[in-house]
Amino acid sequence: MNRVIERHLNILEFTLASLLRRKGRNFSLLAMYLLVIFMLASLLFFVTALKREAAIILSDAPDMIVQQLVAGRQDLVPVAYAGEIARIRGVTAVTPRLWGYYYDAFNGANYTIIADDAAEPDRVSIGSGVARVRNLAVGDLLPLISYDKVPVMLEIGTVFPSASDLIAADLITVSPVGFHHLFNFPAGQATDLAVTVRNPKELSTIASKIASQFPGSRPVLKSEILRTYQSVFNWRGGMTLLLLTSALLSFIIFAWDKATGLSAEERKEIGILKSIGWETSDVLLLKFWEGAVISLTAFLLGTVLAYGHVFFLSAPLFAQALKGWSVIYPRFQLLPVVDVSQLTILFFLTVVPYTTATILPCWRAATIDPDAAMRY
Amino acid sequence: MIELSGITKSFNSGRSNQFTAVDNVSLVVKQQQVTVFKGPSGSGKTSLLTMIGCMARPTSGRIFLRGVAAAIPFQGDGVEAVEITSLPERFLNEIRRSTFGFIFQQFNLVKGITVLENVMLPAYPTGEGRALFRARALGLLEQFGLSRHAAQKVELLSGGESQRVAIARSLINNPSIIIADEPTAHLDSKLSHEFMAIVGRLRGEGKSVLIASHDPIVFDSPLVDALVEMRDGAVLDSRGER
Repeated sequence: MNRVIERHLNILEFTLASLLRRKGRNFSLLAMYLLVIFMLASLLFFVTALKREAAIILSDAPDMIVQQLVAGRQDLVPVAYAGEIARIRGVTAVTPRLWGYYYDAFNGANYTIIADDAAEPDRVSIGSGVARVRNLAVGDLLPLISYDKVPVMLEIGTVFPSASDLIAADLITVSPVGFHHLFNFPAGQATDLAVTVRNPKELSTIASKIASQFPGSRPVLKSEILRTYQSVFNWRGGMTLLLLTSALLSFIIFAWDKATGLSAEERKEIGILKSIGWETSDVLLLKFWEGAVISLTAFLLGTVLAYGHVFFLSAPLFAQALKGWSVIYPRFQLLPVVDVSQLTILFFLTVVPYTTATILPCWRAATIDPDAAMRY
Repeated sequence: MIELSGITKSFNSGRSNQFTAVDNVSLVVKQQQVTVFKGPSGSGKTSLLTMIGCMARPTSGRIFLRGVAAAIPFQGDGVEAVEITSLPERFLNEIRRSTFGFIFQQFNLVKGITVLENVMLPAYPTGEGRALFRARALGLLEQFGLSRHAAQKVELLSGGESQRVAIARSLINNPSIIIADEPTAHLDSKLSHEFMAIVGRLRGEGKSVLIASHDPIVFDSPLVDALVEMRDGAVLDSRGER
């Protein structure tokens, strides 16, 4: 084998033997390092996966939503707008949508209620989150209280599968008639209009036309919704990171102290190594491997554990902070997605500074004259 | 043969606390002999040995290795003498590693690792295959009756055992010259005699042994071929072929 590689392997082997001499110190350092990498990588994986999840879900969303604003607040849209918007060149379909929120005083949860033209009157489909908090199954009756405080009993026809939890956990679909009855929703009005266009490049032109044709309307593009979601998840990730900052700083101080502190015994060892024929570069290589073994092990293990934590266990440590705030938390398996560039940044922010911090203080000790060891 | 020509070693040169450890020493150390540098503490023995062993450079003077199989990258077959004092650091290290083996007064073993690992230490950075030098280290441990201690931590060894480990370590790269600095300073008489017996064996194997010592067991030993007496950095007397 190449002598250069042999030299590295030999020194690496001595590094491992050397690290095992200070088991307590090195394992505690490794454990803390591992924890920090695990937390940061989990956060990274989770936020990236959520953003991707949101993007996938929104890929089925309408190209544009038209809302009505009154005094800067969202109001109901006249259904009559739909026909007029449909006549704008490039628009393929306009669907008035009926949806709203229902506060369940029984358990403090908020449900999203959507009117579905295909739904039968007095029958509903519910998300698995709703089924969970109300302990309901197909065939049971779901009692809801209408706007005038009259109980409405709706039979459960379907429970949406958990796979759709991210969008459907808190969902209840009812018939349009049931929706109007439940909320006393005025006829001829819709919550908003879903607009589909033929050519996505024309979206902004069509949006401008709608805005000028219907004063008070607000067209919202799919890309804008996606950007809002990305910002929300970035913001949540940032907040969580902020909470982790104190732990991170503690680790940095701890690691810096451990990595840069060179005991008298370590100095003497360096002197011995020099005296028996090790060059300064050999000693620095030894110290490089010492730092690299700890930081690389922590990085690789931490990343793998974070991957399992997020993609196999659905990130129980971060779910509450990152999925949202609600009584009904969606239960879903995130699709594994790894942002290599972010992982690379994490690598350079953790492994590289630690390894450098290990080598630098040894530089002086390693440049001592080999004959110094003769005089110990 | 090691030839020293006008070797001087000063510390803190040009300052008020300048100190000359070795003062204009010229000397010839023959190969495959046991040469003892005798003298009181501070006489310059150790300083002289560190310069011969390429650990330090003299302030002035030159040191030649003649006919010594030193691993010098640019040395051709026809080159008989190498002037080591003017070589760059990298070559000095290479020569030190391949040509000299060192035995220190305090043994200087690395604590926390095994006897075997200590013996292998000088070979790690050479780039030689681990299996090769490991086999050599095991052979040396067997030779010095330390096989059963191979996997033991060095701090559990007795003084005599520690020294034999230090000797084994000095031989791992198969050097032709062994330099020992006050090797019997921490040994009782019995162990000191044992050490000299090992020195005799090494000489028998064709190695040159240079010892700095003020222990009569060492310098009065019949194994000693040449005795160099030093005081205040200068050679008082040099007797060879006793």
